[in-house]
Amino acid sequence: MSKIIHLWKSYWRILTRPSVHYSLGFLTIGGFLMGIVFWGGFNTAMEYTNTEEFCVGCHEMRENVFAELKTTIHYSNRSGVRAVCSDCHVPHDWTNKMARKMAASKEVWGKLFGTINTKEKFEAKRRELAEHEWARLKANDSLECRNCHNFDSMDFTRQSERASDQHSSALANGDKTCIDCHKGIAHKLPDMAGIH
Amino acid sequence: MKLTRRDVIKAQAATTAAAVAGVSMPGAASNLITSSKETELQWNKAPCRFCGTGCSVSVATKEGKVVATHGDTLAPVNKGLNCVKGYFLAKIMYGKDRVTQPLLRKTNGKYDKNGEFTPVSWDEAFDIMAEKWKTTLKAKGPEAIGMFGSGQWTVWEGYAAAKLMKAGFRSNNIDPNARHCMASAVGGFMRTFGIDEPMGCYDDFEHADAFVLWGSNMAEMHPILWTRLTDRRLSHPHVKVAVLSTFEHRSFDLADIPAIFEPHTDLVLLNAIANYIIKSGKVNKDFVNKHVNFRKGNTDIGYGLRPDHPLQKAAKNADKAGGSVPYTFEEYANFVSEYTLEYAEKMSGVPARTIEQIAKLYADPKTKVMSLWTMGTNQHTRGVWVNNMLYNIHLLTGKISEPGNSPFSLTGQPSACGTAREVGTFSHRLPADMVVKNPKHREFAEKVWKLPAGTIPGKPGAHAVLHNRKLKDSEINCYWVQVNNNMQAAPNINEEGLPGYRNPDNFIVVSEAYPTVTAEAADLILPTAMWVEKEGAYGNAERRTQFWHQLVNAPGVAKSDMWQVVEFSKRFKTEDVWPTELLDANPSFKGKTLFDVLYANGQVNQFPSSDIKEGYENHEAEDFGFYIQKGLFEEYATFGRGKAHDLANFDTYHETRGLRWPVVDGKETQWRYREGYDPYVEEGKGVQFYGKPDGKAIIFALPYEPPAESPDEEYDLWLSTGRVLEHWHSGSMTQRVPELYKAVPDAVCYVHPDDAKKRGMRRGDEIKVISRRGEIRTRVETRGRNKPPLGLIFVPWFDASQLINKCTLDATDPLSKQTDFKKCAVKIEKV
Amino acid sequence: MKKLITALFTPFAFGTAILLAAAIAVAEPKISTLRGSANLDAEEQAPRMGKIENHDQKRQRAYPQQPPTIPHDITGYQVDKNFNKCLDCHARTKADESQAPMVSITHFMNSEGQFLADVTPARYFCNQCHVPQMDVKPMVENQFVDMDNLINTDK
Repeated sequence: MSKIIHLWKSYWRILTRPSVHYSLGFLTIGGFLMGIVFWGGFNTAMEYTNTEEFCVGCHEMRENVFAELKTTIHYSNRSGVRAVCSDCHVPHDWTNKMARKMAASKEVWGKLFGTINTKEKFEAKRRELAEHEWARLKANDSLECRNCHNFDSMDFTRQSERASDQHSSALANGDKTCIDCHKGIAHKLPDMAGIH
Repeated sequence: MKLTRRDVIKAQAATTAAAVAGVSMPGAASNLITSSKETELQWNKAPCRFCGTGCSVSVATKEGKVVATHGDTLAPVNKGLNCVKGYFLAKIMYGKDRVTQPLLRKTNGKYDKNGEFTPVSWDEAFDIMAEKWKTTLKAKGPEAIGMFGSGQWTVWEGYAAAKLMKAGFRSNNIDPNARHCMASAVGGFMRTFGIDEPMGCYDDFEHADAFVLWGSNMAEMHPILWTRLTDRRLSHPHVKVAVLSTFEHRSFDLADIPAIFEPHTDLVLLNAIANYIIKSGKVNKDFVNKHVNFRKGNTDIGYGLRPDHPLQKAAKNADKAGGSVPYTFEEYANFVSEYTLEYAEKMSGVPARTIEQIAKLYADPKTKVMSLWTMGTNQHTRGVWVNNMLYNIHLLTGKISEPGNSPFSLTGQPSACGTAREVGTFSHRLPADMVVKNPKHREFAEKVWKLPAGTIPGKPGAHAVLHNRKLKDSEINCYWVQVNNNMQAAPNINEEGLPGYRNPDNFIVVSEAYPTVTAEAADLILPTAMWVEKEGAYGNAERRTQFWHQLVNAPGVAKSDMWQVVEFSKRFKTEDVWPTELLDANPSFKGKTLFDVLYANGQVNQFPSSDIKEGYENHEAEDFGFYIQKGLFEEYATFGRGKAHDLANFDTYHETRGLRWPVVDGKETQWRYREGYDPYVEEGKGVQFYGKPDGKAIIFALPYEPPAESPDEEYDLWLSTGRVLEHWHSGSMTQRVPELYKAVPDAVCYVHPDDAKKRGMRRGDEIKVISRRGEIRTRVETRGRNKPPLGLIFVPWFDASQLINKCTLDATDPLSKQTDFKKCAVKIEKV
Repeated sequence: MKKLITALFTPFAFGTAILLAAAIAVAEPKISTLRGSANLDAEEQAPRMGKIENHDQKRQRAYPQQPPTIPHDITGYQVDKNFNKCLDCHARTKADESQAPMVSITHFMNSEGQFLADVTPARYFCNQCHVPQMDVKPMVENQFVDMDNLINTDK
């Protein structure tokens, strides 16, 4: 025990004393490299929280929203390009991503304290949870939709008449954003009373 | 005809001018707006040809063709609505491949079991039939002939057939396909109440505060009743809908309380609810004391399989399945006490809190509950038990026989109630709930029929599943199938049905409108008139009897099933079919034909053809020379009048949108057993279950027992079969309507996405569904209207090219003899 | 072959039936028209899953009372107690924006024949009457006669 305290004290001295043995260059580069390692670790951890495996780790997600996703076009479709949870629910740029992750910790809180641990409780919260996502997507002009569905790359002639009419008008002139019309495409909608 | 805008204006101008001048323009001249005389359609009412809901349909005819159909706005059942099938009724008779003439398998001009179907005349058809029937009757007696009818028979078709079989041929081997459909419901009613059919009616939909669906998918199978339920639920926010099933389906779209349970554990859930009611002190003691007896039913009753099946041999009470002993309330309470919410959760997989939610609906005295069920409950190796147990919880709480409190057994076929059950075309029954086993009932029937005592045999005949077994075993050799497609509908086709029909010892006759798979397996096909090509009557699930007129002529030489039965009876002399003793004791019957004895008996032939309402054709009356439908109906109605099955007189039904029996003093009955509604309840009784001698219904103590076959390591999935909204039963009518065919052309296998993934399958993959008995090829569906849980697949049976009943097991409820089409073990493999 | 067999069942083929019967004698005794070509004890390939007709073209109705079939794909449309995707375009208040046909006026009538301010809950589940159509050819032709062909027969 005393050995450890001794070791700790000597390291503390090294850390608090200006360098004698190591060059400034070494310290700078070393520090940078360590930074990358830690940063990478953090990001890897962050990335892991973006995987489907992580998201559906709890039964609340697995049995409700994920089960619903499985029957939709965002899970299985003609070309096999599919969305995982984070594609739609986690912003790609760093600041927004961090903000979203902070917000998501509330969901984990919900998990820990059982606010949605039964089907009925989840259903009771469904509207509120959905409204958060709609508001977020409305505010960012459906950014996560557009990450894959690039407006400029849409070939209207390959769309059904109804779709091409809407996309070439309301969407093109900015009257509407994706989420305005495409609510409930990957999960069941909550009670929509008062919304439609 | 293409018209330009110019043409339109020109035509309009011309008609206007003509109108001003006071001249009427012939439609042809106007070339556009024909006169109302030209465009006039003849509208008539007829009940829908499909399910047991019994919607009334307005049918338009013109130039001898049905040209339009829509929901009858005057009908109390459907209030102007139809489902998609009902809206397309106009097309069901016009498939290009209608059978228009008798077809007999022949080689080189002679009948040959392996010959090709060759057109023959009715005479030739009946000649060979009569020859086969007579030879068989002589060689092996009446038990070697059989008839398989239907809950789609009109009332008089079923009545004429039952009479021919039971009194004419003296064989009780007549059974309807209602055996596959409603037999467990009948068993439940008879056991609990001593009288068949629901006490409530559809008006309950507008009075209930809660609906509980037990294994029923009303959204697809009873769409119009679903509209009434939906209307109630969405218009009254306090109303709750609980949907229980072994897989998620469209009815879940309206569910406030959804519950997916492990197949067969409805037995556990129902006892758990009974236990909850008792434990929470919510038993309606006054009601129970006054109106209920308790009994404990026999257990370990087997699975209705062949006697040499190991499961059958192991069953202790296989031969005493219906037995029961008196019980007390306390004993019953103790019996169900082991069915706690926790135990029920463990067995069923439904969370205890969900079971409690449902139990509370029943327990709360202020909540009026309507329970609804059909095939999920009836097609069940313990189907009668489940029916009994559903009544248990309604009887414990006294929630019965009043508006909104209603255990309601829904019906599958348009006249499962009206014909199969009320007429008594089952192998053990006679009209008005009487049974062949009871000598008094036989005596009564013989009197009504003006036949010698001892004509009707007392031994119940073979039931549907046993028919196929006996055909295979060469015990039934002459077999007549009418108005159903049993080669597609019956279980275990590969091992029983097909070998039975193709057995060289047998002669199989199928009366059909279309070349179905059953027709293909037959030796003689008789062309048959359908729906409004004949005058008819159906009885729906709420005891409503509805009539219709013949509105168009059948194609070719097609005739109604009733015509065929009655015409065939002319080929037999009593000497051909009755024993000498019977004739010696009643010499006046000697030398007469069965037609004389059964139909020209002074009753059936008492109404002249001139009684037929003007403007309507009637091909049977034309051939027989009297208003045979009226005669058959009035003779039949004498069975029930004064016996709580009262029907109104014949003509009344042509004028009304149906009436719910008992019809006493011209008044129908909405709620039976309740004073003030039911004229049969004695004054001051309040409630009287008069089907039982002491006026008390029975609560049965019945346990959970396992299903006949469950998934194991090799056959690792449950298979459930059923219908889809767009097709009715085997699809022989709806698959021929282009719009319905294009809506759902082929059967698919609904699989949980993870079950598919685990087996390396994806949506659209071709797979084999394989059971121990047979296999079919189909496609994987992981999306869509049905979402099975892990471990269960659903395959509908409407598709003739995917005969899923090659896979099903012919295990039946030992009491009702009804097959369990909802449970057997299968595996799926990629092709 | 199948055509020949089908012809055998048409009312008009009666006279030629004997001739046809001779032709059939060499074929399988297969007559069921809704069951591909496999015998009853055999299984043939299950047809591929079809595609839904999705071209938004109105189809002629067989008679005025016929509920129109849906001329577009409705895969994934949510119609439950929470939401009705169909009314999202076909509601009276959405028709201008969506240019979809407004639900028929009959749908605003309750069971007593009284018009309501919105679609009656009894008609809430659209799929009970309105169905999409797959891009497949019917197995059996239907000879239903359009009433339009029965008026003005002399024109």
